[in-house]
Amino acid sequence: MRIFIFIFAFLLPLAANSLPSEKRKNGPLIQDALSPVQVSLQESSAVFYNNETSKAFLYGTVVSDDGLIMTKASEIEEVESYYVRVGTKKFRDPIVVARNDVWDVMMIKIVAQGLKPVDFSQAKDLPHGTWVVSNGATERRFRRPRAGIISANKREIPGGSPAVLGVGLKEQDGDLFIDNVTEDSGAALAGLKKGDKLLKVDGSDIRDRDDLITYLKEKSPGDKIKLVLTRGSEELNLEVELMARHKLYGKGATRNDQLSGGEAQQSARRTGFPMVLQHETMLNRNTVGGPVFTLNNQFVGMNIAAVNRVEAFAIPGQELSELLAELRKEP
Amino acid sequence: MILMTCPLVFGSLVYADRPDFNDKEAPQTLGDFREIQNALQSHLERTRSATVCLQMGGGSGSAVIISKEGLVLTAAHVTSKVDEEIKVIMEDGREFTGRSLGLNSETDSAMLQIEGAGPFPFVEVDLKDTTRLGDWVFSLGHSGGFDKARGVNVRVGRLVREAETTVQSDCMLIGGDSGGPLFNMEGELIAIHSRVGASREESMHVPIREFQAHWDELKSGKFIGDGGFAQKSKPGTGFLGVATEESEEGGLKVTELWKDGVAEKVGLKVGDRIIEIAGEKATKVLMATTLAELGAGDKLTLKWISGGKSKKETIKLGERP
Repeated sequence: MRIFIFIFAFLLPLAANSLPSEKRKNGPLIQDALSPVQVSLQESSAVFYNNETSKAFLYGTVVSDDGLIMTKASEIEEVESYYVRVGTKKFRDPIVVARNDVWDVMMIKIVAQGLKPVDFSQAKDLPHGTWVVSNGATERRFRRPRAGIISANKREIPGGSPAVLGVGLKEQDGDLFIDNVTEDSGAALAGLKKGDKLLKVDGSDIRDRDDLITYLKEKSPGDKIKLVLTRGSEELNLEVELMARHKLYGKGATRNDQLSGGEAQQSARRTGFPMVLQHETMLNRNTVGGPVFTLNNQFVGMNIAAVNRVEAFAIPGQELSELLAELRKEP
Repeated sequence: MILMTCPLVFGSLVYADRPDFNDKEAPQTLGDFREIQNALQSHLERTRSATVCLQMGGGSGSAVIISKEGLVLTAAHVTSKVDEEIKVIMEDGREFTGRSLGLNSETDSAMLQIEGAGPFPFVEVDLKDTTRLGDWVFSLGHSGGFDKARGVNVRVGRLVREAETTVQSDCMLIGGDSGGPLFNMEGELIAIHSRVGASREESMHVPIREFQAHWDELKSGKFIGDGGFAQKSKPGTGFLGVATEESEEGGLKVTELWKDGVAEKVGLKVGDRIIEIAGEKATKVLMATTLAELGAGDKLTLKWISGGKSKKETIKLGERP
């Protein structure tokens, strides 16, 4: 016995000290064991392919049997033209029907019938440690499952308004002044300058910072707002196009961003969500947009951001269902 | 070496309460996943409450409490020095003051003591070293720093590589997790997070057996080794900021004080008489040889007579200008 242990102890660091990759958390044996959940991913995920490169660049979540799909707005608008796959079928000429910048969600329509939408009625709160299954990499006909667990508290992710002017503000003697102008922002293009005094925004008097921020929260990137300003004795009427915050300010990478693979891996827009589920499934910017299921095939949310190497965010099912109802009402 | 590895092998034969899923090459059914989930969730409340964030000098790491009196295990590169004051934050936001004990700069292990009245929430430690390659594990930490709304960040994975002073898991880690705990599915602490590999799925941890090998030294505040995880202070760089001369009454008379030096800050005055240096009778030679061995940040206990009164202080040395 003693000799056996002695030999075994010596062999340990030499031979038996590494677990083969197929047995690891993201390995093929684990994927195989998830096949009962893969069925739901296969039916209710959409895959977006770039028409130019034929590469899959984003997932979507099927929300109606006649072809409504929700996905991540700031990623899909990066690609000029694309086609969609649901299950094994290919759909050409998808059209954008609605978007919401608060949630960074785009609703897209394909011409289809008899799809299997996700079932919103099942969504409920999940405790930490609950397994969830998302889309990993994909094959043309087969959605590969990838597992992770709920890893932190469900919560709001602050990030301010998704639409920004591109200026710093200064309050002085009851007036609001432009303190600096960000290069290449809508404000810079419209000709705003440091020292300009702000009087009106879209016809309403605005004299403090909070009023302006509250007003901008209701706006979306691409919207135009009309400003009345004074520069010296001159009164100016300028129109400014708002820009997406992550595009204007998203470049300042931290050490943890670098550790997470930076822009190639992380979603460009990863803050500013009213509510998220956090899980630790290994996703990247090209594998978000799809549905998240429990081991019981319950739909619990839609992946909305690959945040860093340990955190992924999903819009909870309940909130996504309310958003869907709102987007459907839009003309 | 043999003594340390024996329990590792022996343990698997003796302990019957090892979860079954650990002996499968991978989960085969959803039931296997559910068993892993149930085991993990049954330990989360306790292990989360004992996982703390450490803050010092603008940096942030993680650590775990292992006794109700507030003994804490963490990584050497988080505390980086012995006998330093470090802020300890619990998941619920309560803050305590901690003091770093010893560290091993070669293997990245360190201890810390929370100062304050317990009892503190704490975790059990896998002292018998029962965890093996392929076992399912979970990782906790204050990833990226303390975030009260988010709370402790949980991850799951398997032990994928074993070596004497490092174990590797495929639980993903990020900055801020360093010093945080890795648990087996019986809720016992098996290792402390140290560093990440090139891929997202390579995370390195210091196993508990490495802490056990140096337990008393770590607890007594020793700085072990000259490794890359913590820099020892450089001998000769410590500065007291005082000029002295031998006194006829014995000891050293203070003739000059460096403005804003540590001696002045602790209350030494020109004319005071230093009578003991680190517990020994003060002489000019002892002062010179003692300071030659100490670096900035190291500590020195002096006893002196000031205005007829005896005083004693442990002084943290400044940087020699």
